[in-house]
Amino acid sequence: MTQLVQAVALGVLIGGVYALLASGLTLIFGVMHVVNVAHGALLVLVAMLTWWMWRHTGIDPIVASVVTTPLMFGLGWALYRGLVVRIRGAPASMSVLLTFGLALTIEGVLNVTAGNKFRSATPGYFEESYRIRGVSLPKPQLYGFLAAVAVLALLYVVLTRTWTGRAIRATAQNPDGAALIGVSATATAALAFAIGTATTGVGGSIMSVLYPFFPASHYDWISRLLSIIVLGGLGSLPGALVGALVLGLAETLTATYGSLRWSTLVFYVVILAVLLVRKQGIFGARLREDVAS
Amino acid sequence: MAGLLSRLALLTTAALATAVAGCGERPSASSADSDKPIRIGISLPLTGDFSQPGTQAKRGYEVWVNMVNAKGGLLGRQVELKITDDASNQDTVVADYTRLITQDKVDLLLGTFSSLLNYPASAVAEKNGMLYVEPAGGAPRMFERGFKYLIYAQPATAPKQADVMLDWVESLAADQRPKTAAYPTQDDPFTRPVIETLQAGLEALGVRTVYSTVYPPDATNFQTIASALAARKPDLVAQGAVFEDGVGLVRSLKQLGFSPKVLFQTSAPSNAGQYSDGVGAANTEGVFYTVSWNEKAKTPLNGDFVAAYGKAYGGETPAEDAADAFAAAQVLQAAVEAVGRIDQKALADWLHANSVDTILGKLNWDETGAPQSQFLLAQWQRGKVEIVLPADRATTTTVIHPKPGWQ
Repeated sequence: MTQLVQAVALGVLIGGVYALLASGLTLIFGVMHVVNVAHGALLVLVAMLTWWMWRHTGIDPIVASVVTTPLMFGLGWALYRGLVVRIRGAPASMSVLLTFGLALTIEGVLNVTAGNKFRSATPGYFEESYRIRGVSLPKPQLYGFLAAVAVLALLYVVLTRTWTGRAIRATAQNPDGAALIGVSATATAALAFAIGTATTGVGGSIMSVLYPFFPASHYDWISRLLSIIVLGGLGSLPGALVGALVLGLAETLTATYGSLRWSTLVFYVVILAVLLVRKQGIFGARLREDVAS
Repeated sequence: MAGLLSRLALLTTAALATAVAGCGERPSASSADSDKPIRIGISLPLTGDFSQPGTQAKRGYEVWVNMVNAKGGLLGRQVELKITDDASNQDTVVADYTRLITQDKVDLLLGTFSSLLNYPASAVAEKNGMLYVEPAGGAPRMFERGFKYLIYAQPATAPKQADVMLDWVESLAADQRPKTAAYPTQDDPFTRPVIETLQAGLEALGVRTVYSTVYPPDATNFQTIASALAARKPDLVAQGAVFEDGVGLVRSLKQLGFSPKVLFQTSAPSNAGQYSDGVGAANTEGVFYTVSWNEKAKTPLNGDFVAAYGKAYGGETPAEDAADAFAAAQVLQAAVEAVGRIDQKALADWLHANSVDTILGKLNWDETGAPQSQFLLAQWQRGKVEIVLPADRATTTTVIHPKPGWQ
């Protein structure tokens, strides 16, 4: 029983972090149908920045996201205005090409400036755990999870309770209709891209503590994150959360009761099964209904 | 008929033109060859998954070529490296070596990194009858193909890499020996054979296996393995770790408060600064690993290599991967100097029949190109790496056992 609780607890903690890492990706797809392949590279970029700040100032990596998040918001806005806006209305495949180029550029710049090395931030608590009746909750995983939940909740409130959020959702659902009532499509898209990129501020900071990374790590991450949002339904924020929890639980439960070897396979089997029944993913179409209500 | 004739005429002309062009090149080339630099073709994973070892290998090769050229080159000719990037991709590495051989017509080849890339790359070299000295790629499959031009420039293949760890366990008094052991390993062609042979060897010594699992290369969360280990409390944990997984498991073991009496990991602990940064310097104490090279080894040229590397790359200490690449180049150099000319078959034959002194120690090979030497057993002691076995290459006589608890 303890074993089951332990596996589920870890699965949920891991899933929460995955959800945060995937949230920006699905938001950007939902609003402008841009598949941002550079999302993983942006996460690694933030992880590197965070590591650097932690190493040189001792500032806690997760707290450092107070600095990295606005930075990434600005970078996202600039990237949209400078690059992404040029492929508006083009097929999604164009966005894959553009952002893949961006990912390679970021990887190259990191290779040259930061060096091609594994790094990981190791603040004092990185190897400590809370223990509750035989179940251990690793502190970094728990803090990362809490930060992820806070950001996801904030994102949810912004999207559902503010005018800006409504504008973003309106643009996602019906760009022409939104334009008719005075929502500037370009400004909204830039904002959505900036917000989506800003989520990498906290995501990358957490990543720097939880997982050793190096410039080319982004390939592993982007494939995992894309799988999560495909499972949840492209463009759906709740979908990203569910997809991420499924992956986290698939990892820990398969590892506990079967072999870790099968965890990736189990996850893809789940994706396949879901897509066979619902080709839009778990929450695929519902987001637009949610947005309308 | 007229059409056929004119086509024949055209073909003949073309053939003649090619032959004449060929003749035009050859004589001048043979006389000018002695002035032209010797060109060595290399493809490396400079980007992508293996970009880290790839970049280190590039540095190792470059340090070697600068040292050789400073001493007058090879066979009196300067040496030039032609390095291309295979992006850690099997298809690209095949295209790269094919182009280096057939279009760039390089004089010699040196290998790339990882068994994954060397497996197809060495097949291209073999097909073209070119000597292929590889600095990495010790998976058993490499040597099961009966290749005549493949030479592996490390002390031992993957299955024999942990023999020296086995020797150490065997040397312990009966009451000191571990009684139980666990073997988590990444599904990787370079880690699994190491751990599988070690497990078989330890079982033969009477060490009971209490846990054994293979995890996928993209696994990032190790708490589940750590909790399984904490529940079974093995005396010895031997992990087939590449890098992140090695750091990840130590962190998770610490989080769960379980510290085995003996911890052996492949590869990960050899990434000196990166490993101690990742697990925390105090937690490295007593960790064992096997390694092909050590910066303090008194092997010929090793001191010069470490110094030259540091000078070229901002005072850094070379990674093992850079040293392996340097050693591969030394092997190639020794063969060329002994044979006295560039004759691929003669070079390969010479290497199969002789041994070469490298910065990794003396290397020699069987008929498949598999090396017949031994790895070093290294242990982290007080924040530094010491070699504890084999005795003739050891840097200390102290062995930390049992491993102290996590700090």
